[in-house]
Amino acid sequence: MGTLLHANWFMTGLFGGMSAIIVASVLLAQLGRAMFIRRIPGLTGIEEAVGRATEMGKPIFFSPGLDGISIVTLQALAILSHIVRLAAERMTRIIVGICDPTVLPVAEESVRETYDSVGRADAYRPEDVRFISDQQFAYALGSVGLMTREQTATCFYFGSFFAEALILTENGRALGALQVAGCPEPTQIPFFIATCDYVVIGDEYYAASAYLTREPTLTGSLVGQDIVKAVLLALMLAGIVLVSVLGPAAHLGQNFLVDLLAQGR
Amino acid sequence: MEQRPPSDLWERLQQVPRHYIYLLLSGVIVWQLLAPIRLPILPSPPTRGVYDAIRAVPAGKLIVISTDWDASTQAETGPQTRAVLEACFQAGKPFALMNLASPMGAKLGNDIAVEVGKEYHAEYGMVWCNWGYKAGFTNVLLAMARNIPKTMGQDFYGKPVAALHMMQKVRTIRDVGLVIEITGLANMTEAWVGLIQGPYRIPFAAAYTAVMAPGYYQFLDSGQLEGMLVGAKGAAEMESLVNRPGAGTAIMSAQSWAHVLIIALIIFGNLGFVLTRAREKGRER
Amino acid sequence: MLLLYALHRLLGPRGRRWLIALVTFVAGLFYGLEYFYPAKGNPSANFLTKWIEPVSIMLAVIGFFLVGLGVYSLCHVHGRNVAKRRPGWHNSLAFFVSMIAMLVFALWEHYLHLREPTPAVVPWPKGVYEVLFNGLFAPLQAATFSLLAFYIASAAYRAFRIRSAEAALMMGAAFIVMLGQVPVGMWLTSGIPASGPAAFFRLEKLGEWVMNWLNTPAQRGITFGIAVGALAMSLRVWLSLERGTFFSEQA
Repeated sequence: MGTLLHANWFMTGLFGGMSAIIVASVLLAQLGRAMFIRRIPGLTGIEEAVGRATEMGKPIFFSPGLDGISIVTLQALAILSHIVRLAAERMTRIIVGICDPTVLPVAEESVRETYDSVGRADAYRPEDVRFISDQQFAYALGSVGLMTREQTATCFYFGSFFAEALILTENGRALGALQVAGCPEPTQIPFFIATCDYVVIGDEYYAASAYLTREPTLTGSLVGQDIVKAVLLALMLAGIVLVSVLGPAAHLGQNFLVDLLAQGR
Repeated sequence: MEQRPPSDLWERLQQVPRHYIYLLLSGVIVWQLLAPIRLPILPSPPTRGVYDAIRAVPAGKLIVISTDWDASTQAETGPQTRAVLEACFQAGKPFALMNLASPMGAKLGNDIAVEVGKEYHAEYGMVWCNWGYKAGFTNVLLAMARNIPKTMGQDFYGKPVAALHMMQKVRTIRDVGLVIEITGLANMTEAWVGLIQGPYRIPFAAAYTAVMAPGYYQFLDSGQLEGMLVGAKGAAEMESLVNRPGAGTAIMSAQSWAHVLIIALIIFGNLGFVLTRAREKGRER
Repeated sequence: MLLLYALHRLLGPRGRRWLIALVTFVAGLFYGLEYFYPAKGNPSANFLTKWIEPVSIMLAVIGFFLVGLGVYSLCHVHGRNVAKRRPGWHNSLAFFVSMIAMLVFALWEHYLHLREPTPAVVPWPKGVYEVLFNGLFAPLQAATFSLLAFYIASAAYRAFRIRSAEAALMMGAAFIVMLGQVPVGMWLTSGIPASGPAAFFRLEKLGEWVMNWLNTPAQRGITFGIAVGALAMSLRVWLSLERGTFFSEQA
């Protein structure tokens, strides 16, 4: 099976079509069309988690994962913004541990602006958004040390996590913290499920910002994604039928759908 | 979250303090490392795929081995690297080490190659070389497809790659007969498949840590991967194929009984859970 | 870059938002256009392909400036701990000692230009570097990773309870895969012939079947979903539709 360094007409059409569906869905939502999103249990736990920290008078810890500025991290920062707003309104301290230095200025700006927007600029502490280490396990151990010293009541883990996830969450659990995690990496989901109280899985991670804010743009985008998935499912079914009828795609030329995807012919 | 103290045996079975679990696990691992119970290791089809792919590399072509791992995954990727290098030396296939994502792996991989190379009396630059760590990841892949010596520049020791004897006939990616990615990092395979294996149809195999391997069976199924080593088990299987039992085989003994212990603990925990629930249901009636 | 910075400083809030949106759009357009614009040749290339490398290098250079920011942040935080003798200041001192030691000996070893795999005489800076790297840094990383084994044992014991039929099914699959991955599992079912229809019930075969026929489709499904989610998020960021602090609440 080959792949393409550049798109052929089929891939261009497919991507264009998928993008058009998503953008159209966003525009429809902005025009006022109501769109339904089912309840996502992992995200409904966020407000409870922030409330717990407020009641106990202890800080919250947030980790946006190990990645630099990427789609996953931007989503994590959007969720951070929501959590900071909740925490600021309840006058609860929130500490953010950063792994990648490129994320540090963006996270600082995000947190500062959120405090400003709820009229709590005085509560913002620059040292609470801190770079820990860009090394995976040094970051994990540094974060665990931070959580232990500050006796955090609630821990949020949203972003790209890898092997260090279990070190963070198991120590958070031992601390008695309420933990909420969200990660698009399938490899770490089992560890989060075993150690955290609420977990946001796979696609739900990208639905998080829509769910939390109910912004028309974001809910529209979410509905658009579902329509695109239905289109891909239809393509898959077509592929299954074609392979069953035309034979396995061991050689190019035997299956025109594979030729389209692999060669553009 | 706090738990109330256990009131009887069934609840105690569910709440064994974690320190005892850690002690038990340490004991089992140390016991097996000191007095291993050796059981036969049968190579699986994914491992055999890597072995066969190495042996099938045509004469005159190079094997490129990307050691994108660091000390944290050394227990799995170290034995995998050693076993793969043994297979390359035994098959008489020249190979080049390189590193795209983890500079530590360039040195750790090199240390293993030097050690194994001595056993096979393999001279550096003639049968194997190390291109070293190259920053830029996808840029490096795109550039090396067109011109390997220019992209690689200097090797691990600071010598020009183009000056190495074994690199005299290597110009582009089409002079490479097989790429083997040994990694504990995510997203490496996707780049290799998207930029090298797919467009240029270069055979590609990989070795992963056990925790990330499930995500790559889909590449094996689609034929984009010729074979795959899965964790220490893959290393042990490869060691049995090259007939050089080493760290991978030693680790498997310990891992076997550690798995048995974890399964036993889960069973005991569930025994306590089920019996406690049955007792509470009985009380309600 | 300087022009963009100057514009950013001169424009009002509304103008700044438009500037950011425009730069974001143009930057995203480059890679998208390079991929989708018709290409010819083998390997395929269009008029933008030759710019991929310089643009990527430029982005990498911008990113590397921020590495210094991380080091500055660390030195700032730990320097203040040491200066004010806060509780645990000795840990901050250890940070400075280890950072400087590793930096000095790594650079010294590099500039020794040892051009052989095994030189006859090992200079002492290389010896110190080997102690720091192979003796301290690498084993510490490996030891930290090995903590996961203990954590997963305690997490699995604590969390895996058969509360439902699905949980029981999951646990059965987990046991099969765990035993199928190790020699003990192979030994347990070694009495079953290795070939023939009954071979399917050998634990290693069952484990492979679970990985190939249950795990793989599930992973593919998850990958599709995540890819579509990433596409949607990318579109929102590229077209500046994303709400949030980096695009301001009123955008």
